[in-house]
Amino acid sequence: MASGAGPALAHRSVASIRSAPLQGPPGPSTPHTPNRNIASAYGSPSTIRADDDVVVLELGSRHIRAGFAGDSSPKATRQCGPEDQRRVGDFRSWQAPRRHAGLDWAPEHEFWRYDLRDVDLGLCQDNLERVVRDAFTKYLLIDSRPRRLGLVLDSAVPVPLLTAVLDTMFNRFQSPTISLMASSVTAAVSAGVRSALVIDLGWAETVVTSVYEYREVKCTRSVRGGRLLLDALYKTLHSLLRENNPDSDSDDDDDDDDDESRTISFDECDDILRRLMWCRPSASKSSQRESTQLETVEEQDESEAESLQDVLQVGVTNVPINSTNPPSTLEIPFEKLAEVCDDTFFDPSVEQATFDDHELPIHLLVYQHLLQLPLDVRAICMSRIIFTGGCSNILGLKQRIIDDLKAIVNKRGWAPVAGKGVDQLRNNPKLQRRPSGSPTGDGPTSPSEAGDDQETASRGAADTSHEHDPIEAKVARYREAPPQVHGQFRVLHSLGSWTGGSLLCQLKMPAMAIIDRDVWLQQGANGASRPSDIDVKAQQRQSVTTGGYARGGGGHHTNWTLGAWGYL
Amino acid sequence: MAPVIPYTYIQCPCSDNSAHDNANDTHSQDSVDDDERTFDPRAPRSNYSLYPLEYLLYCEDCQQIRCPRCVNEEVVTYYCPHCLFEVPSSNLRSEGNRCTRSCYQCPVCISPLQSMSMTPSQDPSHLNADGTASQAGTYALFCQYCNWSSSEIGIEFDRPSGIHAQLAKVKNGGEHKITAKEIKEKRKENPDEPPIPDEQLDADLQFSTLKSFYQTQLADTNTAVTGMQFDSVGFSSPAALSRIMSLYTGHGHPGRKRQGPSDVMREALTTEEGLKTVDLDESMAIKKLQQLGWDETASTQQNLEQTEVSRFQDGLRPIPYLLRTKRSKRCSVCRHIISKPENKVQSTRFKIRLVAKSYIPNITIRPLNPTAPPVPTTSRPQHPEEPSLEPLKPYHYIVTFKNPLFDSIKVTLATPNTTPGRFSSKVTVLCPQFEVDANTDMWDDALKDDGRDRRRKGEESNGQLEAGKIWERGRNWVSIVLEVVPASLRLNNQEPGADVDKSPLKEDEDVLEIPMFVRMEWEADSQQDVGAAPGKDRDGREKRELAYWCVLGVGRIHHD
Ligand SMILES: [Zn+2]
Ligand SMILES: [Zn+2]
Ligand SMILES: [Zn+2]
Ligand SMILES: [Zn+2]
Repeated sequence: MASGAGPALAHRSVASIRSAPLQGPPGPSTPHTPNRNIASAYGSPSTIRADDDVVVLELGSRHIRAGFAGDSSPKATRQCGPEDQRRVGDFRSWQAPRRHAGLDWAPEHEFWRYDLRDVDLGLCQDNLERVVRDAFTKYLLIDSRPRRLGLVLDSAVPVPLLTAVLDTMFNRFQSPTISLMASSVTAAVSAGVRSALVIDLGWAETVVTSVYEYREVKCTRSVRGGRLLLDALYKTLHSLLRENNPDSDSDDDDDDDDDESRTISFDECDDILRRLMWCRPSASKSSQRESTQLETVEEQDESEAESLQDVLQVGVTNVPINSTNPPSTLEIPFEKLAEVCDDTFFDPSVEQATFDDHELPIHLLVYQHLLQLPLDVRAICMSRIIFTGGCSNILGLKQRIIDDLKAIVNKRGWAPVAGKGVDQLRNNPKLQRRPSGSPTGDGPTSPSEAGDDQETASRGAADTSHEHDPIEAKVARYREAPPQVHGQFRVLHSLGSWTGGSLLCQLKMPAMAIIDRDVWLQQGANGASRPSDIDVKAQQRQSVTTGGYARGGGGHHTNWTLGAWGYL
Repeated sequence: MAPVIPYTYIQCPCSDNSAHDNANDTHSQDSVDDDERTFDPRAPRSNYSLYPLEYLLYCEDCQQIRCPRCVNEEVVTYYCPHCLFEVPSSNLRSEGNRCTRSCYQCPVCISPLQSMSMTPSQDPSHLNADGTASQAGTYALFCQYCNWSSSEIGIEFDRPSGIHAQLAKVKNGGEHKITAKEIKEKRKENPDEPPIPDEQLDADLQFSTLKSFYQTQLADTNTAVTGMQFDSVGFSSPAALSRIMSLYTGHGHPGRKRQGPSDVMREALTTEEGLKTVDLDESMAIKKLQQLGWDETASTQQNLEQTEVSRFQDGLRPIPYLLRTKRSKRCSVCRHIISKPENKVQSTRFKIRLVAKSYIPNITIRPLNPTAPPVPTTSRPQHPEEPSLEPLKPYHYIVTFKNPLFDSIKVTLATPNTTPGRFSSKVTVLCPQFEVDANTDMWDDALKDDGRDRRRKGEESNGQLEAGKIWERGRNWVSIVLEVVPASLRLNNQEPGADVDKSPLKEDEDVLEIPMFVRMEWEADSQQDVGAAPGKDRDGREKRELAYWCVLGVGRIHHD
């Protein structure tokens, strides 16, 4: 073995690839001096940090979080905003009043979009570079020395965008290696579980991802997310504003507003959303059984939830709005906010059949997702539900989703619409009895029962190419399965995707994919193999017998992948 | 795009590569001549490469402009901006990047907080009578600006100093903050006690319990794992994580029987292992929100300063001051130091600082016939605001180039005939080539013969707008005249084309900005590199050249 065994080999092992005789031109903007030697050559006080610390970076569509591996929370959380996109020395953001945003106000608050047709990748890179540099300088207090990087991001980020990010980090920040981690998996890690149903109530979309044994099994999406909610809230606020001061705007101005610009700034609207948005309790909450609309209402009148509802309906709050001209105070009824929330995430007024797949109400999205999972995976995941994303902070939303979800399960069970596998389901008494159980449930099931489940599950989820792995079989036999809660709804608290990435890097657990700078600069994304093309066993043998990747395979480059992010 | 018009921005040449790539893309689509590439200051990416002259440094060895993106930084000193104490770098690792003395910012308004006695008006006799005991819990942090006090969040202190350590032990509301260590000790004393309830597991505690859980899970098997599998599998396979963490832990040798209680890294099962179930019932918080309303909620801005997001004002915590750094800067190409501050925290001076201002001409622009009334001397810093420009009407500007070098420079300017972007204004530089005299000492200048002035008599235009003639010349500066004809901002005035962008005016799209390519050539003494290099004259003079784009912001076009 090239590097020999040692306590901190997990990451260092990757360095052995670097020693491979890789030639080729460095990237266009790369200085010709080798960067690896900088740290040792300088000898200034921060050298020690540079060598040891792994920087963990989480990229969201509107947020960038940065900090050191092993920390409980990021040192910097930066939001994307138009102020960051100005020229250096343009201090207009400090000078009120702000201009009014156009109707399509979201893009300047987003680092990127999934739909790359709307994205100028070069601009993304510029923006990313500036924000990351700023975070490093002001919050992490680190300088230009190359640092290993852990990158946490959604596994649906398209390869061209990932390429742009990697190019920036390798070229502009000279990271020697970058480990990629899927945000859903790291969210599970920071909840202490190996499997989970991660419901990311994010900005661009709501994404439901089932993670089984640290692997993403399935991922479904709905456009019902923060962006939609903010637009709906704006409309409500705008009409409230008009009702309040009907004569402050002439008709002319109103038309103008509607056509070209927003009356209330993005930031102010966003602030109102974060501070005041809340969600009504589920209609099914007080009555678990199936009931008509009328009955539900009556039922609620008697329930204790009613007193709460009563307070809510009369409640208003006064919100100062500074982005209007002139500044004003807006009286917002809480009931209106709940309506906006309902319409955005659940849309109770519309028939279910009318929803497209990409605009399913959240509880249906989650239900469909679970329905399509293999039985054992579903049983495990439903007991490990994790909410993440900005909208998960909306008061009452999590409970509403879970309650509505339970209501569907009560009504329909787990019978797929097509009827496939119904028999299979019926034959499984465990799942049949459980769904209506209380969220925190009847505690861990007996080890033997859980063990059976896990056995089948791991086989089901395992990569087919490794199915007849003799070692795996042996291990499975020896394995002593811990008791696992399954088959009942349970929501777990995760410390978030960033923190999960921090833990993974700190504990030197291997990431989904680790990319080496030299290899990247030489090959780029084109060099990435399909994950399934990588023969783990062969590599293992190779590394044991020949002492490293590079020499194996008769001079061929060792395959590497972008993990869940795919290939070109 | 700066608030004060007119203005000058300079593009750092380091961004040229990427900009060029981009330009190639768009040009090939538009099938426009590639050589005639014009820098478009209006392109969104240009915002990231343009700088005011004061922000730019200069590398003498590379003879090139250096911007914040093309320098490498090294931290010289860490210090607290509030108490100005220097923090050794070794402390950063253990104590984080914030001041651990008693420097705090108000969580409401970010003003500095002061620790003061809660009972300042109490008569001293009372204190004497009760001794130290009465003083317990009688200090709090106060904000002088907004009157916030830490007693509002139920936090008071025994001592006015060492706030950091005291604060770390209390939650908002005054409750003791449980640490992982305490839990471990309790467990030792009382092995049968049930784990702490979920609601007591705060984020810090969850993290530390989780971390130690993972560490113990990995501990037994670490040697085997690192010895064999991580090297090969960790690198590539998406399945690696799953396989290593479940199947291979403890099985470095397949035939070996497992040892220890569990060979699989299992999931966390209790709060003491970092597992926390969520209490979904948020009705109390909803009730609180509706009763207290907007004013009691914490703003987005306030939360950005907090480590943990809080819904209400009473959840905010004082913000320890973020440390700052002093940094030296090196040219990223040749590694020479181009800026180095003095180490002392209090000093704002530099040991080395090569600013671009001393190497490239300072370009200023002003209207030839200013119409704005002169600003009274009492409010001098304020600039006179010129009225917006009438479309299709010619305007003249005086552009002045001031030479900071001790050698005279030859300047060549190039501008596109029409500005890029949707609204093409016409641009003419009346004199695109001229020489600017050296920045010699004023007395030297006076002693020199005045033959030079005679020699150049013909080049000045004597107040007439004449092509090929400069406007005015001084000791180390030259002014030329720039003529612009602003375009109309009417969208239907645009030439009908395949894809006419009829979208409404973007921010600052009404500002008339002129991209200008500046090339300066001069001969300098070649003191360094005694060995003869190509391009060097026999008399030790060396030809030098520097070229870059700059942007002149001329004025706002009137919306007609
Ligand atoms: Zn630069
Ligand atoms: Zn301090
Ligand atoms: Zn204050
Ligand atoms: Zn240099």
